[in-house]
Amino acid sequence: MIELNGVSHQFMIGKKGKERIVPVLHHIDMRVERGEIVAIVGRSGSGKSTLLNLISGYIRPTSGEIKVMDKTVTKLGEGEWANFRLAHFGFMFQSFQLIPSMTAFENVELPLVLRGVSPRQRTKRVHEMLERVGLAEFASHYPGELSGGQQQRVSVARALVLSPPIVLADEPTGSLDSENERELLRLIRKLNREHGVTFLIITHDEQVAAVAHRRIAIRDGRIDPQITL
Amino acid sequence: MTVLATAMGCSFLIVLASVGFGLQSSIVDGLVGDRLVTEIDIWGKESGGKTSNELTDDDLNALRAFEHVKTVTYRNHVQQSLGKTVDGTNVSGPTIIVDFEAETKAGFELSAGRLPQAANEIVIGYNIREQDPVPSADGRDETAAQPKQPSEPASGWIGKTMRLEVTQMVNGAEQKTPLDATIVGVTKQPTREWLKDRVVYIGEPLLEQIEAITGTQFGAVMPAEPENVPKEQLPRSPDEPRRYGEVQVIAENAQYVKGIGERLRAAGYLNHSVANELEQINIVFLIMKIGLVFVGTIAVLIASIGIYNTMTMAVTERTQDIGIMKAIGAHPSAIRRVFLLESGMIGLAGAAIGIVVSYALSVAVNATLPVLIESFVEEKLPDGFRFSLIPPVLTALAAAISLGVAVLSGARPARRATRIDVLRALRRDV
Repeated sequence: MIELNGVSHQFMIGKKGKERIVPVLHHIDMRVERGEIVAIVGRSGSGKSTLLNLISGYIRPTSGEIKVMDKTVTKLGEGEWANFRLAHFGFMFQSFQLIPSMTAFENVELPLVLRGVSPRQRTKRVHEMLERVGLAEFASHYPGELSGGQQQRVSVARALVLSPPIVLADEPTGSLDSENERELLRLIRKLNREHGVTFLIITHDEQVAAVAHRRIAIRDGRIDPQITL
Repeated sequence: MTVLATAMGCSFLIVLASVGFGLQSSIVDGLVGDRLVTEIDIWGKESGGKTSNELTDDDLNALRAFEHVKTVTYRNHVQQSLGKTVDGTNVSGPTIIVDFEAETKAGFELSAGRLPQAANEIVIGYNIREQDPVPSADGRDETAAQPKQPSEPASGWIGKTMRLEVTQMVNGAEQKTPLDATIVGVTKQPTREWLKDRVVYIGEPLLEQIEAITGTQFGAVMPAEPENVPKEQLPRSPDEPRRYGEVQVIAENAQYVKGIGERLRAAGYLNHSVANELEQINIVFLIMKIGLVFVGTIAVLIASIGIYNTMTMAVTERTQDIGIMKAIGAHPSAIRRVFLLESGMIGLAGAAIGIVVSYALSVAVNATLPVLIESFVEEKLPDGFRFSLIPPVLTALAAAISLGVAVLSGARPARRATRIDVLRALRRDV
């Protein structure tokens, strides 16, 4: 489902005219199969987030090829990437990334609006999702009025509202307490088991990595075969 | 505040341009007056290098044959006073012969009654029963000093009989033959206060009766000693070809007037229409209105600076929101549309408020400016004179300009929004 072949990436940092190259990822080859929960583990600065950003299309690799759902996405334009992202990915962020001026309902509704779904269908689908994450009575609340766990559940509902085949999660439990973390992990397992959703989770948390079918360890920008399972 | 600035700009544009529309309307109305814009006056005919101002039946038929001519009217005067009375009241004013059928097609309007259908039926002028002021010996208007008696409406005479005393010379002596006519209609009130319609309108059949009595064309009275008068000065016989005056060609539509006028001129018929005068005036006013709209648009453009600033700030403040939207799959065009829509809404809201304010200002201008001018200049403006007129097209144009300028102002900020880096935006803390 997700395939990286010889992917490398480097950043240019520093002032204009005095930039220096910082290599981040070196020749990454990896695959994520349909229905898998894969955890990408590694220390801070190892390149995990950069890897996820490349797969998400937020940045382009310096070299190599990325395929998602058998489509080469490395050379997609910004608009094409936006459409592809909306159709195939759901996103979970460490700091939830909910829009503060929109209610829980409107945040979950956003992908449906971007997809052009009719208002009646949107309302039905959003209520379904909020029910599923147990937040039906909080639909009209703003993110500022919700706890961390509730915000993450809204974020999950938004990530899944278009029934994407793949969910990309960057430290999804990073801002949660242990109870909410357990709740989220239970939900991830359930979605994977019952709906076949593929998860690619960036984490440095052992408990999160434990729910994965497979772990890929990144060390100094390379896949560490000794730790990868 | 941005909406308010847009409203002010839009309002200024509308009120400024409305002055052009108002002055044009007032001046054109004054020019046109009672005249129809489809009327073409035929004031003469050129033939063999000579100009004549009398037209014959052949000329009228030729005029009727022109393309897009609806009808041809004429007005000739009965050439004697006829001694008209109604219920013993003397009726002064001329008697005019018209072709009522042609007049109907030309839009001869009545304020009461109907047009004649029978031979002895007539129409009277709206002001026929009003009295003229009687000048005193030293020329001062005596009636101005007397309490005014309200005149009876002319419509009160509908159905009554008007006696016409036809004068003829028989063996050198004046002989009067009475003819009775029934009043069936009253003309429409003249649009100008100073215009008075005291005419009696009769048709061809009644004219023929008058001519049968006098034995002359148009009821002219033969001189007492005709043998002493040169033949060319004697009244014509009814059997001779009739000459028509005040001939008007009525076009089917105002758009045909110019073309018909040119063809008439080519055929030797000297003519004039209000369209000739209007054309030049309208060109001048069109240039004036364009200039006023241009100046007004500058005010809207100044307001657009506020819209640009507002939208730029909006993009900056909502950088994280935009980043989130892009992160989950919003197309750049969707982002751009959001901000263009917002700037468009500012333009629309400003236009809506500006239009309401401008209508209020227009009413205030039309109410107060004449009073101010009359107090300074000590002269009365014509009735119905308007300084400001806001036609629907001006409202639509101003709204379109406001909306267009607002959307254009938001274009650059919207483009900036699409270029926001997702990762940088997501890293910002709320």
